[in-house]
Amino acid sequence: MSTTNPQSEAALDEGGAATGDPARRARARRRSKQRRRLANVGGLMAALVLTGALYSVFSPAQAADEGSESAAEAAGRDLYERSCITCHGENLEGVNNRGPSLIGVGEAAVYFQVHTGRMPLARQEADAHDKPAVFSDEEIDQLMAYVQANGGGPTLPSGDLRDGDLAEGGELFRLNCASCHNFVGQGGALSSGKSAPSLQDASDLEIYTAMLSGPENMPVFGDNQLTPDEKRAIINYVQTIKAQADPGGAGIGRIGPVGEGLVIWVVGIGALLFGIFWMGSKA
Amino acid sequence: MAARTATAPGAPTTKIGKAAYEFDERMLLTPWLRRTLNKVYPDHWSFLLGEIALYSFLILLLSGTYLTFFFDASMREVVYDGSYAPLRGVEMSAAYDSALSLSFDVRGGLFMRQLHHWAALLFVAAIVVHLLRIFFTGAFRRPRDTNWLIGVVMLVLALLMGVTGYSLPDDLLSGTGLRIISAILLSVPVIGTWAHFAVFNGDFVGEQIIGRFYIVHVLLIPAILLALIGLHLLILVKQKHTQFPGAGRTEHNVVGNRLFPTFAAKATGLIFVVFGVCAALGGLVQINPIWLWGPYNPAQVSAASQPDWYIGFLDGSTRIFPPWDINLPGDYTVPALFWPTVVIAGAMFTLLALYPIIERKLTGDTASHHLLQRPRDVPVRTALGAMGLTFYLWLMVAGGNDVIADKFDISLNAMTWAGRIGVVILPPIAYVITYRICLGLQQHDREVLEHGIETGVIRRLPHGEFIEVHQPLGPVDEHGHGLLAYGGAPVPKRMNHIGGARRAIRGFFRPIEEPAQVELEQRAEGRGLAAAEDRELTTSGRPSEGGRPSEGGRPQEPRD
Amino acid sequence: MTTRDTRPGSTGGADVPGELYGGPDDDYTPEQLAAMSREDLDRLGAHYDHVEILHVDAGPEPGSPMEKRAIRQVGMVFAAAGLFAFLFVVVYAGSGWFLPDWHWQVTEGGWSALFTPLLGLLMGLSLLCVGVGLVLFTKKLLPHETAVQDKHDGSHFDRVTTGATFVGAFHNSGLARRKLITRSLLLMGGGVGLMLIMPLGGLIKNPNKGNPLGTTNWAEGVRLVRNDGTPIRPGDQQPGSLETVFPAVPGGNRQADAATMLIRLRPEQVEQLQPRVGHGDFAYGEYVAYSKICTHAGCPVSLYEQETSRILCPCHQSQFDVTQGAKPVFGPATRPLPQLPLDVDDEGFFIARSDYIEAVGPTYWNRERI
Repeated sequence: MSTTNPQSEAALDEGGAATGDPARRARARRRSKQRRRLANVGGLMAALVLTGALYSVFSPAQAADEGSESAAEAAGRDLYERSCITCHGENLEGVNNRGPSLIGVGEAAVYFQVHTGRMPLARQEADAHDKPAVFSDEEIDQLMAYVQANGGGPTLPSGDLRDGDLAEGGELFRLNCASCHNFVGQGGALSSGKSAPSLQDASDLEIYTAMLSGPENMPVFGDNQLTPDEKRAIINYVQTIKAQADPGGAGIGRIGPVGEGLVIWVVGIGALLFGIFWMGSKA
Repeated sequence: MAARTATAPGAPTTKIGKAAYEFDERMLLTPWLRRTLNKVYPDHWSFLLGEIALYSFLILLLSGTYLTFFFDASMREVVYDGSYAPLRGVEMSAAYDSALSLSFDVRGGLFMRQLHHWAALLFVAAIVVHLLRIFFTGAFRRPRDTNWLIGVVMLVLALLMGVTGYSLPDDLLSGTGLRIISAILLSVPVIGTWAHFAVFNGDFVGEQIIGRFYIVHVLLIPAILLALIGLHLLILVKQKHTQFPGAGRTEHNVVGNRLFPTFAAKATGLIFVVFGVCAALGGLVQINPIWLWGPYNPAQVSAASQPDWYIGFLDGSTRIFPPWDINLPGDYTVPALFWPTVVIAGAMFTLLALYPIIERKLTGDTASHHLLQRPRDVPVRTALGAMGLTFYLWLMVAGGNDVIADKFDISLNAMTWAGRIGVVILPPIAYVITYRICLGLQQHDREVLEHGIETGVIRRLPHGEFIEVHQPLGPVDEHGHGLLAYGGAPVPKRMNHIGGARRAIRGFFRPIEEPAQVELEQRAEGRGLAAAEDRELTTSGRPSEGGRPSEGGRPQEPRD
Repeated sequence: MTTRDTRPGSTGGADVPGELYGGPDDDYTPEQLAAMSREDLDRLGAHYDHVEILHVDAGPEPGSPMEKRAIRQVGMVFAAAGLFAFLFVVVYAGSGWFLPDWHWQVTEGGWSALFTPLLGLLMGLSLLCVGVGLVLFTKKLLPHETAVQDKHDGSHFDRVTTGATFVGAFHNSGLARRKLITRSLLLMGGGVGLMLIMPLGGLIKNPNKGNPLGTTNWAEGVRLVRNDGTPIRPGDQQPGSLETVFPAVPGGNRQADAATMLIRLRPEQVEQLQPRVGHGDFAYGEYVAYSKICTHAGCPVSLYEQETSRILCPCHQSQFDVTQGAKPVFGPATRPLPQLPLDVDDEGFFIARSDYIEAVGPTYWNRERI
């Protein structure tokens, strides 16, 4: 409790002169030290209270949560810390051998992964499969806000996502997408157990955000590589082809010769075999 | 009083008769005509398979001619401006453009295109089934080995027709296949690049190939095929059709129906049935929707790109063949692609063509044969055939390995390895299994000949033993074993095969025959169930206890 | 003008019967044939063709219920065939007239999308009914006849006499001993044969002249452009992306061997980058460019898996590792994808520093010699 009080240890009476014998002088010193300390603390407290009062009087009015995050982001953080943190880390920095960093992926990536149900991942495997979404639309918005706020990245587009040239979309699709997803988006196999999924159930926004964010093994198609107009053209093409009828009869999966070969053997040769069993004799 | 003919000594009397007479004055056809009308054809259902191929070819000729009225086999670049919106403004070849306009702007054009393509798939499938029948029944043996060779050549030509045909529209799917054909040509050692430059008139893709494929597809190969089909049928008619062994059938006769009217009526019926199946498929099931594939662009490709099914085995062999280039001194290379395409196809078809000679050498059987063999009676050939078929089918499965991997959630790399390993170990396994099955079937035939048909009737003998009553097929010796030898014909194995079932009474809602009438007819036949019911069964029915022909066929009292 | 015309060359003609020379016309006079029933004549003719009718199962009794049923069945099937055929004609001709239009638009699913299936269904049913009717007629109404025909193997008489004729003529020609003729025949055959197939030589082109297989339109300073012709700057692509690029020459995007994949690697991939020997400086920072044409069979490779750094070819499943100079790591391909050396020009657009230093596309016999 010794203080390096610039004022000397010598007791000071009210006049400030040192008086009396050593014991009485010591007591007097202790008493005045305590009084000084109290006075110091009291002055400090007074100064603080005065400053605070002045500050709160003169500072501009603030929103209730200023300085940390919005309500959506906070809810997003909650969801994140319950469902995502194990693999993506406390600060979205990723965990080695479990999940990549989410810093800079943007809300588009979050929308795609969570809306298609790929995230939360069922287990560590080659491919993230789409499954029923775990989070509601509102919760997805919150997660999007949280991740976007912590690193930024590509954002969701707006407006009509099919507002593009149909034929140009077809050419772009065949050049960039068909090699993995097949001529008409039926999907295809990738190496070692992975697959490029079928686009039959994909919505406009899911396709857009997939192109923008390059999920898992899909390459990234940034806006300088495929402009927003070109992306819209592709989406227009995919959704139009999906919806269009097959004028030649049953489409049999639109996968080409594999299906056609099965049909000719099972239906064609099968029917004709029945026919010739009937026509000819058996022994 | 039998009807009199119009040929009184002198001239015919009816108008048609007179016209026929005049016709024959000029053409002198009647000897040939009568001979042809009287020709006997055996009636087994498996002999109709070749006809399915023949009639599919006919349909291809007719529908193909129609298509040539609309198709433009030119690789000139045009900009599409037709009725299919998703391709409007896209650059494409005139060939693709004409195929699109045939599909969308010609009334019934899409139907004819699809009819033609389905008939093509059916044509090759029918050839393959027909080939399998010929192989497994030994119909290729002398003197029909020439016809077998002609048949194998026609199979190869049919494959070439298919490839040149589906490449004509110049779409993305067949164009990818064209690129692979280019690579296959290049892969031939020494002359590969020269062959490629001759066929394509330069480097890939050039401007000639579709036009050249067109003339090959509509003129050159059809002409050769027509000639070969004519030869194939001529040889068949002159040698007469083979037949299965059976009652009254020898190596020196043919038992069956005369051409006119029975065989001709059935054959005509089959023409219409085949045509009907092709037409139904041509309208009801979409095939080769080229508008979905898009025009060919060498920088574009789709997942799940396969050739038509009959080339699938080559696609499979190419996928699974390991990356084994042969680097020769002097920096020459034998590319890895050479082996699973040119060499395997060449080897398979050569083996197929030479098989009759190989079998002759291995079995030492140089006689002429007109009777067929049941597959079980030649287990080595049947097992070899099963082995070859397994090899072929496994390669076809490997050709679709990416589609299987995608649809069934299997790793693509694992599918490739399965293809590689399976193609080596599965055929021998198939051989062994087929061989054993053939032996088993042979043994069962002989067992039934010896012990009779199992009737399913169980009797209990007085001393307590249970036996099943067997119906002998013919005379038995003193031990009760049948004396009939196996003759190559199917052995009856069920009671209804030997008349042990009643004749069905016809009618849909009500019988149109009187049951009493049917039964009377059956008793009049003197054999079969109805007649047997008149006899009382008082013994075990075992042949050793009676039932011998010397005793009138009726079982006697049991002897102790 | 009758057969009684007596001018030379006109009398009688061939209608006056000539000499008999054997055959069935000798054995049976027209009077005898006229006295036989139709059935007997049929069997007689068959006998001459070595065919015996063994057994005839007559068809159903005329007037019986079986026969009536069969006639009804066959008649109905044929009538159905005709009906379906007429319906086909109605659908085919009537579409666009009193039926809705058959021209199909992409957005439609109605009549125009059903036009082709209807055509197929109706024609198929019609033709099937014809065939089925014919077979029903044969099975149910025609008598079932079992016939036997004797085979006659090659006639020894024919072989011997034909052989004699052939060999005799050859012998008479004296060719066997007139060797000058046979030898000159050989020369003639060879020459004429060669002459006739010579015009096919017009098809032959020299693949080594100018090395078209080993060169592409890429060259020093040629810009990389997209399919629509726009040039590319570093920064246009995100890490982990692939873009198909073409040389900026006329028709560059239609050249079969010039398509190139421009890949921007992610930082993790850059760390693992092991370029091929001699290709150390072909990359531009984190950008690498490889030929899109597979070295196995020429398909565009294009399936880029950015996380595993593999490019998968969809045709035969060859896989190339982009961090190891696109060397094949699985599948039937044997050679790495050729790499295009990259640089950036004064305006900041990507250019090639030269053409590919090896042949693009599938391997061939003398690929390594160029």
